[in-house]
Formats: sequence, C-alpha cells, structure tokens
Amino acid sequence: MALRNALLRHLRVPVQNLAVRGSNQSQIGFLGSMRAFSSHDDHLSKQDVVDRVLDVVKSFPKVDPAKVTPEVHFQKDLGLDSLDTVEIVMAIEEEFKLEIPDKEADKIDSCSLAIEYVFNHPMSS
Amino acid sequence: MSGVSSAAYFARRVAQKERVRILYRRALKDTLNWAVHRHIFYRDASDLREKFNANQDVEDVDRIDKLIAHGEAEYDKWRHPDPYIVPWAPGGSKFCRNPTPPAGIEIVYNYGQEDNP
Repeated sequence: MALRNALLRHLRVPVQNLAVRGSNQSQIGFLGSMRAFSSHDDHLSKQDVVDRVLDVVKSFPKVDPAKVTPEVHFQKDLGLDSLDTVEIVMAIEEEFKLEIPDKEADKIDSCSLAIEYVFNHPMSS
Repeated sequence: MSGVSSAAYFARRVAQKERVRILYRRALKDTLNWAVHRHIFYRDASDLREKFNANQDVEDVDRIDKLIAHGEAEYDKWRHPDPYIVPWAPGGSKFCRNPTPPAGIEIVYNYGQEDNP
C-alpha cells in the first residue's frame, strides 16, 4: 500500500493552470465612438441644409429663383411681405420636420438665419 | 396727429405687426390641421391670405387692435381638437418619452459572461 502510494506520487501529473484568457477579451471593449446601429449620428451636413433651404425658398411662387443665395434677406432682397416670411418659415418647418416655437419663428428673417437655426437644431432631419 | 411720430406709436405698431404674424402662423397651421389634403389646404390658405391682405392698409391703431382681436377670436373658434404636433415637441407623442440617461451610467458589455469571466 505504501509502495503503491509512493509510485503514484511519482506518476502524478501536475495540474496546470490554463491561462485565463477569457477575462482579457471583455476588456478590449468596444471602440469608443463607433456604434453601428445608433440612430444619433444622422445629423444633417451644413451643405445639405443649405441646399434644402434654398430649394424651399426657390419653389415659393412669389420668389424669383435667380436671386436666391444663402445670405438673402426675405423682405429686403426678395421683396416679400411679412406674411410671406411666415409662409416660408412654415415651409421650412415642414421640410425638416421641425417644430419652431412662435417667438423663434418670428425672428427668422433671412436665409442665413434659417440655415443656422435648422443646422443647430438637434432634431432636424 | 401728434402721436404719429412718437416712439410709443411705433412700438405699438411693431407689437401689432408681431401679433399679426403670430396669428397668421397659427391660423395657417390650423388650416393644415383641418385640410389635410394638399389641394384643399392650398385653397383654404389662399382664402386666409386674402382675409389678411384685405386689412393690410388700415392705419388707425385702435381699429387694428379690434381687427386683431376679432381674428384671434375666429382662430380660437376654429382650433382643431387634435392638432398635428411633431412627435418630439411638447404635446407630441414622443415628448419626454426616453429622457437621456443620467451622466456616469455606463453599460458593461459582458452579456453571457457574468458567471464565467
């Protein structure tokens, strides 16, 4: 019996600790800002906003499309009425699916203001 | 009239113009609420515009006030009970639905590996 134990002691295979590699993988983590299925990286580019706003203004029946530039003022340069300005602002709201509060919408007087407002609005699409 | 060139008169006129613009904006949106089909909306919008244009040359401040009050009463009478509001705006269906999570909360991406890391 003792002999058997002595022999077994010599033949015992030492237990090896397998390197725990699983724990390292979770720390690689996700690349910080790249989220493939996020819906929050679809903000419009400035050029896109400019193009769409100019299209809206050009398709207004009382406006001469040749005069429309990104800095044009609705009442001074295009000769529109204040009520026409209101209509244009509403058309821009519909184009970008925005809801502009009344006080803010009253201040939008020119293309540049409109473009800036739409570009800085978080929910424009 | 002595009040023609005074600042108070101009301030009153400016305030009236702003009221008119806001009234026109709300009335136009309301028209869009009622007349969903675009061709009907265009017709109603031009009618509304005619109504506004008919009074645009009035100079008497009190008369303008009365006209604006009359217009606002008409707008109140015609307000749509279920207006279209953009979903994320106040009153819309998505307003305050998913507020941004408080700062400092972080997601640990170890689904399935909680028990055997």
